[in-house]
Amino acid sequence: MKNPAALFLIVLVSFGATNVSEQQLRDAQADSTTWLTYGKNYAGWRYSELAEINVSTVSRLAPRWIHQTGQNGSHETTPLVFGGMMFVTGPSNQADALDLLTGKQIWHYEKAPPPTGLGLCCGQPNRGFAALGEKLFKVNIEATLVALDARSGTVLWEKQMEDYKKGYSATGAPIVVKNKVVVGMAGAEFGTRGFIDAYDASTGDRVWRFYTVAGKGEPGGDTWDGDSWQRGGGSTWITGTYDPELNLIYWGTGNPGPGMDGSVRGGDNLYTCSLVAIDADTGKRKWHFQFTPHDTHDWDAVADPVLVDLAVNGQKVKAVVQANRNGYFYALDRTNGKLLAAAPYTKMNWSTGIDAHGRPQLVPNMDPSEEGTRVCPGLGGGHNWSATAYSPQTSLFYFGSTEGCQLMYLHKQEYRTGQWYQASTETDIPSEPATGAVLAVDPATGQTRWRFEMVSPASAGMLATAGGLVFTGDGHGYLVALDAQTGKPLWHFQTGGHISAPPITYLLNGKQQIAIAAGTSIITFALMN
Amino acid sequence: MAQTAGNPQAGDPTAVTAGYSVFRVYCTPCHGVHAKGGRGPDLTRGIYHTGEKDSDLFRTISNGIPGTDMSGFSGDIGDDDIWRIVLYIRSVATHNAARIPGERANGEKLFWAKGGCGACHLVQGRGGRMGPELTRIGWQRSLEYLRDAILDPGKDILPGWATITVIKLDGAKVTGVERGYDNFSAQLMDIEGNYYSFLRTEVASIQREDRSLMPAGYGQRLKPAEIDDLLAYLVSLRGTEAAH
Repeated sequence: MKNPAALFLIVLVSFGATNVSEQQLRDAQADSTTWLTYGKNYAGWRYSELAEINVSTVSRLAPRWIHQTGQNGSHETTPLVFGGMMFVTGPSNQADALDLLTGKQIWHYEKAPPPTGLGLCCGQPNRGFAALGEKLFKVNIEATLVALDARSGTVLWEKQMEDYKKGYSATGAPIVVKNKVVVGMAGAEFGTRGFIDAYDASTGDRVWRFYTVAGKGEPGGDTWDGDSWQRGGGSTWITGTYDPELNLIYWGTGNPGPGMDGSVRGGDNLYTCSLVAIDADTGKRKWHFQFTPHDTHDWDAVADPVLVDLAVNGQKVKAVVQANRNGYFYALDRTNGKLLAAAPYTKMNWSTGIDAHGRPQLVPNMDPSEEGTRVCPGLGGGHNWSATAYSPQTSLFYFGSTEGCQLMYLHKQEYRTGQWYQASTETDIPSEPATGAVLAVDPATGQTRWRFEMVSPASAGMLATAGGLVFTGDGHGYLVALDAQTGKPLWHFQTGGHISAPPITYLLNGKQQIAIAAGTSIITFALMN
Repeated sequence: MAQTAGNPQAGDPTAVTAGYSVFRVYCTPCHGVHAKGGRGPDLTRGIYHTGEKDSDLFRTISNGIPGTDMSGFSGDIGDDDIWRIVLYIRSVATHNAARIPGERANGEKLFWAKGGCGACHLVQGRGGRMGPELTRIGWQRSLEYLRDAILDPGKDILPGWATITVIKLDGAKVTGVERGYDNFSAQLMDIEGNYYSFLRTEVASIQREDRSLMPAGYGQRLKPAEIDDLLAYLVSLRGTEAAH
């Protein structure tokens, strides 16, 4: 090819239809040119077979383009990639479609949040789209679910999930299962009652709702004193996973409300701080596992429930694993919810172990108090929400953690509709600054294989690749590549902004790309020639 | 109270309690559990340098104060709750600030002479650069916090003011105040005011300690009355008009 113009023509390829089928979602792991669903595949692995960027080549990784969103607030999106575009959500009800080659904005979606009446714990972040057919689905902060046309950003339908004036909001990415859009809510700090909803992808009509707080007369309803279940919390603000063979959706649930005052809601408070397995067609609960019964430390169990097959006593077991905010790693049998393994992964002073039924053995007098109770891990937990990854190449599970303690206070509080209802909070301990780490854990045992120590709490999500790498970010703005076998840092780049989001990877014109939301930018990387 | 005019929550008898619940979440880390101050100002004095009206307090909480540690909370807290926080702050303001027993003028002399404070601290353009600037410290910290900071400098190390020690590959040691510290590098300023930046891969070790390079022992070097004088001076430091 002597003509340079002919070379140029090679990049003018068609990316095919802007369209995602149900089958593509099931086979998402096999297609390295796309990123179609929150966790890369339904199992939530965040693992890619791509290996062009690997332990030997990663030193040549360099930025390709930067898209500055111009949106204030925390950028927590997992970008979706298909049809030649990257689809990213931003804070405060904004979203963009970007050209994969150049980073140019192709369309912009924006809807002004309600000026008053929102009850928000943590700003207005958004964690990404789901896709089916030619539609994209995202939540808006005022607890709506909106469907956009992927080619134009046009609104096709928008449904109110619950009344934002009562404290309901929404921040998590939906997932598409068959023809349904499955989605969670936020707002356990405002006396809400948590749920997981499924909506018909075509019409936006609600198909089922699973309440994460058992009502009076329902199974589990006797784990709430009086009518406390009506304000029971149990938010569902991080995306679940799906096992097509079992037809079960796995979703973590948040803290009970009010978060810090357990005295007004006696009992175990089912199904808060739990993992629930739900029939994808009916929304009925198949099983549940409660990690932290009657939680008083705000330890949501919302972290990614990652589906892996483990060898237990020589037998293959279909398992689900989670790095729980309470400081324990858990592996459960995902067919029935039975405990397979549990092990602490961070500094802990509230529990001495897990009994045979999976219940934590408690240290007395660790509830929040008027004068402050020193609790480890702190309110944010060991691992919080940031995305985790599993590599079938190393058989290791990767996640970020905070190492530290906080003082937790109790402050008695009356419930008022739509108002803050947490019954106090926490402060750092000046003499004990928290640090962080990236951990690689054997999912069969919970034993830590390596730690990459960080000077401050881990903030960003994980990506594992067949290149023997784990990508993550930090609060100081570094995007980092670690050796997946050893945790050794092999490459880093200062992006200029705090990183909460997880990196993703995909193939563009035969070259592996890495993308990350950092600060208020979307940045992509590829190997320099 | 005329100052609460325009506060849409002012008529709600539950607003103060509700405001305190939100205050506990967002404000206590700097202003203390009972608003008596800490790293941030004591709000119970009832003196607010960004304005006296509820709308002034609302604006301060929403937007923060540029150039200070007070960040804006409009992205995290809804307007209704910010108005409720304002009412809570009003409810705890005593307007009888504790009398500072010392002599301000004598404190100023101590600051620049016997105390040696000016060697490291800047006040209105005069003084050293190693320690925190104190030009507006009377607004920023409570009396109790300032007393602790003199008598026990290591009691509360603010983020960014730890001590960093770097051992270079040739064994040489550099110690100074943190100017930056992350997973891959550290920046510091030594006692002579020299600035350094190091990559972790290019030195033998980088150690960060939560201790202050400010000398201990002011409780012995200065008499109790002199400490009071110094405090009277520090509390009087409210910045320049231009800084407002």
